[in-house]
Amino acid sequence: MIAAAGYLSILAALVSSVALVVEAIRHSRTPEPDPARLKLPVLGLVIGGVAAFLLLEIGILTHDFSIAYVAKNTALGTPFVFLLAAGWAALQGSVVLWGLMLAVFTWLVWRRLKKGDGLGVLALAIMGAVSIFWFGLMATAANPFALCTEVVNGFCSATSSVPIGDAVAPLDGIGPNPLLANHILMAVHPPLLYVGYVGFTVPFAFAVAALIRSERSMVWLDRTHRWSLVAWVFLTAGILLGAWWSYEVLGWGGYWAWDPVENAALLPWISATAFIHSATVQRRRSMLQAWNYVLVIVTFSLTIFGTFLTRSGVIASVHAFSLSVVGPVLLIFLGVIVFGSFGLFAVRANTVASSPRLDSLSSREGFILLNNLLMTLFGFTIIFGTMYPLLVEAFTGREVSVGRPFFDRVAVPIAFLLLIAIGVGATSPWRVATGKVLWKRTRVGLNVGFVVAALAVLGGIGSVAVVAILGLAGFVIANIIAFYVHQASRSHGGGKPWPSALLSTIRNDMGFWGGQVAHIGLALVAVAIATTSVLAIRTEVPLVVGETAIVDDYCLGYIEPFDRIEPERNVQGARVAILDRSCENTRVVLEPRLHEYPKFGQVIATPQVWTTWIDDVYLTIAAMDENGIRLKVLVFPLQWLLWVGGLTIVAGGVLALGRKSRRPSRTPEAFDERERADV
Amino acid sequence: MSDRARNLAWLIVPVIALAIIVVGLWPGDQAETDPEARAYSLATRLKCPICAGESLAGSQTDLAKDLRVLIDDEIAAGSTDQEIIDKFVVNYGEQVLLDPPSTGWGVVLWVVPLGILAAGIVAVLGLRRKDKEPQEVST
Repeated sequence: MIAAAGYLSILAALVSSVALVVEAIRHSRTPEPDPARLKLPVLGLVIGGVAAFLLLEIGILTHDFSIAYVAKNTALGTPFVFLLAAGWAALQGSVVLWGLMLAVFTWLVWRRLKKGDGLGVLALAIMGAVSIFWFGLMATAANPFALCTEVVNGFCSATSSVPIGDAVAPLDGIGPNPLLANHILMAVHPPLLYVGYVGFTVPFAFAVAALIRSERSMVWLDRTHRWSLVAWVFLTAGILLGAWWSYEVLGWGGYWAWDPVENAALLPWISATAFIHSATVQRRRSMLQAWNYVLVIVTFSLTIFGTFLTRSGVIASVHAFSLSVVGPVLLIFLGVIVFGSFGLFAVRANTVASSPRLDSLSSREGFILLNNLLMTLFGFTIIFGTMYPLLVEAFTGREVSVGRPFFDRVAVPIAFLLLIAIGVGATSPWRVATGKVLWKRTRVGLNVGFVVAALAVLGGIGSVAVVAILGLAGFVIANIIAFYVHQASRSHGGGKPWPSALLSTIRNDMGFWGGQVAHIGLALVAVAIATTSVLAIRTEVPLVVGETAIVDDYCLGYIEPFDRIEPERNVQGARVAILDRSCENTRVVLEPRLHEYPKFGQVIATPQVWTTWIDDVYLTIAAMDENGIRLKVLVFPLQWLLWVGGLTIVAGGVLALGRKSRRPSRTPEAFDERERADV
Repeated sequence: MSDRARNLAWLIVPVIALAIIVVGLWPGDQAETDPEARAYSLATRLKCPICAGESLAGSQTDLAKDLRVLIDDEIAAGSTDQEIIDKFVVNYGEQVLLDPPSTGWGVVLWVVPLGILAAGIVAVLGLRRKDKEPQEVST
C-alpha cells in the first residue's frame, strides 16, 4: 500500500514537472506571462515530492519490510533518529530528499514571481526540466519503493521496480550501514549539504533563462544573489558538519582526508565562493558578466558531478556507497548539462559579454580576481587530481593513486596566497588602490601579524608554517577590525554615539561586513588546520587496569573495562581517566569504545574526545583484550578553533543575507564619489 | 612628525618582531627524528592496499594495522623513509603511493595545473584597461 502510494506520488511529481516545462515555455513566449497559470504543475510537483518523502519515512517508521529500501537500510532495533535519517542515508532515499528539496525550491521561486516576469517563468521551466531528471530517476533506476519479491536467509534478495503484485517481507531488516548509524551528525550533515547542492539550481536556472533570452542586464544576478548565498551557507555548514562527524566517528583523529567524495563536496563550494566574489564585481563594476555565467554553470555542474562521484562507484572512496545503474544515468545528465549550457553560452556569449575593463590590478576588483584565479586553480587541481588515477589507468593501464600528500601540497601555498589577498584586498577601495591607501589600510594588520608571529616563536612554536599562518591570520583579522573601527569612527565623528556608530556601520552594508566576518572565520580555520596538523601529538600506549602513562601534559589512567549490549550493536569500552601531569587530580573520565555490529561483521572503534581551550585529547582503542588495552592517544592543539572558525564563516554568510542594499551604483561617476568618500 | 617619520614609526614593531621570528626559527624545521612521528608521516603517504582511498594512517582494517606495525619495525631496524617506501612499492605496486612521484607520467599532474595558472594570469592581465592610464581616484 505505502509502496504503491509512494510510487504514484513520484509519478505525479514527474508528470507535473513535464507539465511545468511545457506550460512555462509556452507562457514565457507570451507578452505578459502570468506565473499564476503555473499553479497547478508547481503544486503537483511539491505535493508529489513531499508525499514521496513522507511515505518513504512512514514505510521506514512502520517497518514495512516489503519495501526493499526499508528492508535493506533499517531494522527493528534501529534507534528512532537513525530510522528517520535512513530516509536519505542510502542511494534511493537520497534521491527522494533531493527531489523534495528541488520541489520546495521550485515552489519558493514560483511564489515570488510577478505578472509579466518572462525571465522568471523561463527559469521555472529550467527548474522543471531538472525535476524531470530527478523524479524520472526515482521512477526508474533509483526507485525507493521497489518491492521485495524474494527473501533468502531473512534478507531481501530480489526486487521488482513496479510496486504492483505480490511482495514478501523479511522478518527484520539489515539496518543502516554502521558508520552512518554511529553519530547524530549523520542525520543532519547530508540534508544540509543537499540544501546547498539543490539551492544552486536556482541561480543556474535564472542564468540559463537569461542566456536563452539574450538578456544583457544583470537582473538574473541581482535576483539570484540571495539564493546563491543561502545555498552557499548550507553547503558550508554541511561540509563543516561532515568534517566534524568524521572527527567524532572515524577514530583516526582527522576531519579531512581529501577523499574523492569530500572533494566532490568541496568543489561546488570553491566555485560558488568564487561566484559570490565575482558577482560583487559585476554588481559594483559591471565587469565579468561572461565569467559569472561560467561560474554558475560550473557550480551547478559540479553538484551533479559530486553526486555522480558519490553514487556511481567510479572512483574508489570510503563514501561511494553503491554500485548501480544510477552512475551512467547521472553521467549522461551531467553531459547534457555541461554541453547544453556551455553550448548555449558559446552562442550567446557575444551578446551578454561586457564590459568595463580593469583600471588597476591593485584594487578591490583586482584582489577579487586574484581570489577567482586561486579558486579556479584550486578547484581545477582538485578535479584533475581526483580524476588523474582514472585517466592514467585509461591511457596506460597502470594503477596509481593521488591522495592527501598531493592535495596538501597544492592547498597550502594557495591558502597562504588567499590569506594575503584577503588581508590586503578585503579593505582596499574599488577601481584603484594607490600604494598610499593600501599602506594606510594594512599597517595595523602588518604590526599585529608580526607581533602575533613573534609571540608564537617566543611561546616555543618551532614550525615555520604554523608561525606564518598565525601571523597571516593576525594580519587579516586585525586589518578587518581596524577598517571597521575606522569606518565606525567616521560615523561617530558625524555625531553618533559609539555603540550606534558600530552597529549602523554594519547595518548599512551587511553584505560587505558579512563577508568580512566570513574572512575572519576563514583565518581562524586556517590557524586550526595548521596547529592540529603540524603540532599534533600522536602516540599509542599499552595500559593495564590501574596503570598510568604520561602523554604530553597529561597523565592517563586505565580505570576499568566495561561492556554492554545496545540495539543492533555490542559495546566494549574502557574507562580512562585523564589526570594532570602529576597523576594526582582527575580532570575527566573518557570512555572510548569498540562498537561491534554483528549483522555486518564489523567492529568500529569509536573515539571519545575531551576538549579544552588549549587542546583536544582524543582517545581511541587500538586493541583490547582481558589483559589490557592499547590506547591510541592524539592531542590536537586548538582543535575547537576549527569548529568555531567554521561556524563564524557560516555566521558571516547569514549576516550577508541581511544585505541592506547599498544599491549598486551603475555610473562610474558615482563610484568615484563613493570611493573618494571611502578613503 | 613628518609623514615619512610616521610611516617609519609604523615599521618599528614589525622589524623587531621579524628579528625575533628569524632568530627564533633560525635552525628551521629539523628532519623528523621521533620514530612515532616518522611512522605517522609515512602512513599518511601510503595507501592502504585493500581500502577504498584511505591511507594506512586513516584505515581501521587489520591489514592497515599490520602494515603500521611493519613500518614501526622497519624504523626500529634503522631503515630510511625512502627504503620503507620502496619496499611498499615492491610489494604492492605503484598504487600504494598517495603522492605519485613527479617523474614520467607524474609530471602531468603538476604541469597541467601550472598551465591553468598561466592561462588564468594571462586572462586577468588581459582584463586591464589598455586605452588610457589608470585614473588616480583614491588618495
